[in-house]
Amino acid sequence: MTGEMPERDDDIVRAGEYALSLLPPDEAEAFEARLASEPELRRIYAAWVEDLTLLSEDVAPVAPPAAVLAKVQARLFAEAPRPNPATLLWRRALMAGLAVTVLAVGVFLSADLLRQGPVAPQDPAYTAEVAAEDGSLVVAAAYDAEAAQLYLERREGAAAPGRSLELWLISGEDAPVSLGVLPEAPRTALVIAPALREKLAGGLLAISDEPEGGSPTGAPTGAVLAAGPLTDT
Amino acid sequence: MTELQEIENLIARVAMGDREAFRRIYSRTSAKLFGVVLRVLNDRAEAEDVLQDVYVKIWNNAGRYRANGLSPMTWLITIARNAAIDRKRRQRAATVGDVLTETLADPSPGPEGQAIAASDSARLEGCFGELDGAHAEAVRRAYLEGESYAELAAHFDVPLNTMRTWLRRSLLKLRECLSR
Repeated sequence: MTGEMPERDDDIVRAGEYALSLLPPDEAEAFEARLASEPELRRIYAAWVEDLTLLSEDVAPVAPPAAVLAKVQARLFAEAPRPNPATLLWRRALMAGLAVTVLAVGVFLSADLLRQGPVAPQDPAYTAEVAAEDGSLVVAAAYDAEAAQLYLERREGAAAPGRSLELWLISGEDAPVSLGVLPEAPRTALVIAPALREKLAGGLLAISDEPEGGSPTGAPTGAVLAAGPLTDT
Repeated sequence: MTELQEIENLIARVAMGDREAFRRIYSRTSAKLFGVVLRVLNDRAEAEDVLQDVYVKIWNNAGRYRANGLSPMTWLITIARNAAIDRKRRQRAATVGDVLTETLADPSPGPEGQAIAASDSARLEGCFGELDGAHAEAVRRAYLEGESYAELAAHFDVPLNTMRTWLRRSLLKLRECLSR
């Protein structure tokens, strides 16, 4: 940099720090204001962005789950992506199941829940009774907002031999999101991922019959066996 | 058509509201962008959320892409990285990315800009090699993990001001090397 102004050096450093997201918010805003009016500074910044982006050649690509594209398209194009016929059937079964189970909500948390396995929260934010129409599968759920854990107690029914029961959250128009495969033990607690926590309010829980270990596709593939809405306590 | 021209072409079609082009750009670039976002956030569920925001932003800003003078992958990766860092710090949501897509408009990059566009990773590697090893690693971590000065200082166990001095000196040396 021989013969160049220290002022230009300072701009080079600032632009580099800005490109690395190292400036504190107030300084970043001041820099942005300068960018808007100084073409030379924009060139310096663009040079940093081009050069530093080369560092991401070391970042291994990771395929995102298919549900991400579906959600993006739903957000951008108003109408949800066309559901395939299997999904439609699944949803219809779900709604039929709901009509019955909605009556049964809020009547669990019995004393025997405390006998073994994870302990149900004293003051759950939401509860649900995820039940089959004929009562052949009943799972009580209680969500502890503080621990971000969903406590589950399977009270009736079990997975068919060589099959698994998988729990799903359905929130608004979103595609069902897997919360996990139910273990053989009747009681369990699932940690709910941060992005899903706020979606529990007003959401539905459903259990589907899946190949052993859970759905291979990330979306429900088998029959919906039980469903129930999450309700405020 | 080269891969870059193809992506540029797809961005142009997305700018005109072509949903099929959008789907194709997603299938071509989402694994790379998800990798970039995951590297910063280190949390799959959060990264999936941010990736949604990234593609919404790409759809909404594609029309401004041609004016910003950046190569297409640089533009896409920078939107992804900035969105991930905004999420990580939960502040100044989207401002950095918006500057990039909105006010960086400069249709004529000029000779310097064109020379810069010819930069490649070998040249960058060479210039990183001229830095002190720990200093080079600090710049890398700032870019790839999105670490702040405070996080970098903690990671390398040096005072904050020392870290600032490392970084600033390294940036000057890098630019000097890259402009040779």
